[in-house]
Amino acid sequence: MNSTKLSLSTVIIIAVVGVVLVAGGFLISSATPQLLPAQASAESIQVDELVRILLIIGGAIFLLVQGMLAFSVWRFRAKSGDSSDGLHIHGNTTLEIVWTAIPAVIVVVLAVLSWQVWNQLQTPKENEVVVHVDGRRFNWAFTYDAPINLMPEQIDVNSLPENVKVDVQDDGSLTITSPELHTYIGQSVLLQMKPQDVIHALWIPAFRIKQDLIPGRETSIRFTAVEVPGETYPAEYPVRCAELCGANHGLMVSKVIVHKDEASFISDWLVPMMDKVIHPPTDPVLAGQAILTSGVYPCPTCHVETNLGWSPASPVGPSLNGVGDRAAGGRSTATGLSAKDYIYQSVHEPAAFVVPGFQPLMPQLNIPECQALAIVAYLCTQTDSGTPACTVDDYAAKCGSSAPAAEATSEATAEATSGITSEATVEATSVPASEATVEATSAPAEAATQEATAEATSGS
Amino acid sequence: MATISVPLEGGQVGAPERPHLKASDLLRWSVDHKIIGIQYMVTAFFFFLVGGTMAMMIRMELLTPNLDVMSSGSQYNTLFSMHGLTMIFLFIIPMFAGFGNYLLPLMLGAKDMAFPWLNALAFWLIPPAGILFMASWLVHPPEAGWTMYPPLSTLFSGDGQTLAALAAHILGISSILGAINFIVTIKNMRPPGMGYWQMPLFAWAILATSILVVMATPFLAGALTLLILDRIAGTSFFDASKGGDPLLWQNVFWFYSHPAVYIMVLPGMGVLSEVLSIHSRKPIFGYKMIAMSSMGIGILGFTVWAHHMFTSLQPELRIPFMITSFFIAVPTGIKIFSWLGTLWGGKLHLNGALLFALGFLSMFVIGGISGVMLAAIPFDIQVHDTYFVVSHFHFVLFGGSVFAIYAAIYHWFPKITGKMLNERLARVHFILTYLGFFFTFMPMNWLGMLGMPRRVAYYAPEFQNWNRVVSFAAFVLGISTFVLVYNVIVSLRQGKEAGANPWRALTLEWATTSPPPATNFIGDPIPYEDPYGYGTDKANAYLDEIDRRFGVADEAPMPRPTAPAPAPAAGD
Repeated sequence: MNSTKLSLSTVIIIAVVGVVLVAGGFLISSATPQLLPAQASAESIQVDELVRILLIIGGAIFLLVQGMLAFSVWRFRAKSGDSSDGLHIHGNTTLEIVWTAIPAVIVVVLAVLSWQVWNQLQTPKENEVVVHVDGRRFNWAFTYDAPINLMPEQIDVNSLPENVKVDVQDDGSLTITSPELHTYIGQSVLLQMKPQDVIHALWIPAFRIKQDLIPGRETSIRFTAVEVPGETYPAEYPVRCAELCGANHGLMVSKVIVHKDEASFISDWLVPMMDKVIHPPTDPVLAGQAILTSGVYPCPTCHVETNLGWSPASPVGPSLNGVGDRAAGGRSTATGLSAKDYIYQSVHEPAAFVVPGFQPLMPQLNIPECQALAIVAYLCTQTDSGTPACTVDDYAAKCGSSAPAAEATSEATAEATSGITSEATVEATSVPASEATVEATSAPAEAATQEATAEATSGS
Repeated sequence: MATISVPLEGGQVGAPERPHLKASDLLRWSVDHKIIGIQYMVTAFFFFLVGGTMAMMIRMELLTPNLDVMSSGSQYNTLFSMHGLTMIFLFIIPMFAGFGNYLLPLMLGAKDMAFPWLNALAFWLIPPAGILFMASWLVHPPEAGWTMYPPLSTLFSGDGQTLAALAAHILGISSILGAINFIVTIKNMRPPGMGYWQMPLFAWAILATSILVVMATPFLAGALTLLILDRIAGTSFFDASKGGDPLLWQNVFWFYSHPAVYIMVLPGMGVLSEVLSIHSRKPIFGYKMIAMSSMGIGILGFTVWAHHMFTSLQPELRIPFMITSFFIAVPTGIKIFSWLGTLWGGKLHLNGALLFALGFLSMFVIGGISGVMLAAIPFDIQVHDTYFVVSHFHFVLFGGSVFAIYAAIYHWFPKITGKMLNERLARVHFILTYLGFFFTFMPMNWLGMLGMPRRVAYYAPEFQNWNRVVSFAAFVLGISTFVLVYNVIVSLRQGKEAGANPWRALTLEWATTSPPPATNFIGDPIPYEDPYGYGTDKANAYLDEIDRRFGVADEAPMPRPTAPAPAPAAGD
């Protein structure tokens, strides 16, 4: 016990060192904004304040330990040939109590602060909008319930074609699905999430939020986007998968798009999306192109398709360039199917015929019938000559909104019996034939909507 | 208690005949704890090189944001899965079991472990497990990470996953057998005059580690059994669609694997206490606090497992685990400050062992600080499953455990082989390792905070610059290993003679020849009253007596007092 009386000089040295360490901690913590992405959510501001405190304390401890080590090496290094021993000191109870108590106090303070921030992050906000998130190897789908009365022109729900009607909820809102997450400054969002296969984790670094999607449960996380100074809107930030989910885990990336305000969110994105859903294109080729480019399906992860700008890092699937020619040529010979039927089979049952030299890696995507037909129609056009190798002539009849009444009725029934999706079956069978007829006849068929992404909406 | 300052009771003066260990001795069944210890170390080091090669391939792949070295993302996944499993189960844990085996009986003045045959069995379980593990390359190696989370590990990982799980099972049995042996040895085989509080701190660390192994490893066995059943017997313990629960795995797995972190780092802390005290010629500062903090870490270590699940655990359960995770920093802090206190006012002899011990302190504290940051849930949410976490656990397991293993090699190589390692090469090794390590793992902190998830073969192009820095530093780190390998090979052939006690250390393993005879000691050694009692005439008298008994090598690294020490007092 040699510290019962501290000399004045010792006290001054300790005080100076303490001040230097704390100043150093502040200096290190001033790097916080460079160490983290833009602060694009209310949560990010709260979390970053905590990070700053952690870095002040962590930085000071870092400097203390490295400084003590450097000082000891410099000051207490044995001279060459020095055979003497160091001081015979076994300990110092006061010192040991101090360096137990101070860290204990620090961690209590940090625990309280972290708890407070955590509670704020957890608190439900007013007027939270729920967005449903599906995670699947290796892409994301975000599903919204959009109130149909936002549409500028009045839409009669009952007058929608069958394949659109499946997206209308009982309360009159329209289900739309997007491969990207859209929100606007000030909107409080609650994400309700489910995976379709393994565990995924939704991570938006700019929002400082992350939550696992766990099979068998619905998990949730909330955020409120805020304005980032100097940012141009709509702003985009990455959405990543953070939990290992398989071979292309690193490619399971999407983006969140933050719109300037509610008005632009509705006018720039929500209404056009709803419009695409309500007015699907009648030309199957355009519809198919829209589906493929919508990102709802993970095709660009594995397939090259130059016309759509797909050049995957690991093209483990056959190229789609000129697929129409091959379908009409060698593949047709090999499988005994027509070009159209061969492509349809490849989309619907990828494992039925595997192109030589490739592995049966493509998952069963369970694409709804109308979407599958549209995709087939688009792929038929991928030929060297530009002349389609095949066409999907019955698309308008099955899926178009301008089909003649009688045909539409019979098709609706046919779809129901072939059981394309369970939802469709229920819808179709529960609709009396006469009603379906009325809807079909009154449904508008507008060329203007042909560029649309159409049925991208029904998603999974 | 009578103070005794004579290292060896009665008996012969002069060194007994020194055994010459042949390489072929390592290939046969032996119940000698020293041979078993070397067998463990050589085997573990082999797997260190295997795991390190995988790490180099990982860093080659990550030089660019796209997949180019590997043929598929799934091949990349097998690489880091095997890297983690190899380093943890086949390198760090067996490596420290090796040092424990070699040193514990010597430190206790015993002739062998309590159960020599069991000891040999525990070692000989490792080669078949290692072969089984590596055989998974022949089928389809695991690709679900070392954490093996279902359903990925049950649905999308090859048959190698089953083989790896079986291998981990066998290695777990080996660990448990070894740990029981350590506990019984410490309990029963301490010499007269050595109570628990006179044990070297390395023995305390082995005791705390062994208690953790015995208590925690059965949980790993349970989890692995369920996983294997799900994979091969059609059960659905982890399959949510059939009533199972993927979180069950996470809870049980981390109930083992968090204590396993302490299983991997506590022995290294024990090494540090020995090396710092001896090479700075000063008693360890706060012996009891260091010993008790090992035990405290061991107990608290069982209450923090779910901090690995802050993004999957139900939100209201996260708070209690945050609090325990914060508090485990306190005993760790006590150790770090006690070690700094040990250095203060010492006479630091900056040889390889001390350099790596200082490197441990310098790097481990960064892992400690990032660990406290990770305990804060709001921050963990941001960096969970990112390169920040990769950095954190490498600062703990490489900056901590591996630096300690290097320090232990430089410190005890003279005892094990009778030869000194080359100090100049040791310095080169240290500088390359220290700088290579820091620049490999420090930038990972920024990468993680800025948004790079772990376990990805593809990453955003804006992260490429830091990834290049990391990769090049990692290559330096990889090369640094071969400086040690070269040093070991050269020193075995041409190294300077070590003598019995090159470092003038007070613990009992130095009170015998290097390498020790088959019975470890001629006669029963008498421990000095305080294993760290440097800086007194009495301690120097004891050390001089060892020198007199066994002789001093010509260029002994630790200077001897110039004037011949007075004859030792025969007690007081």
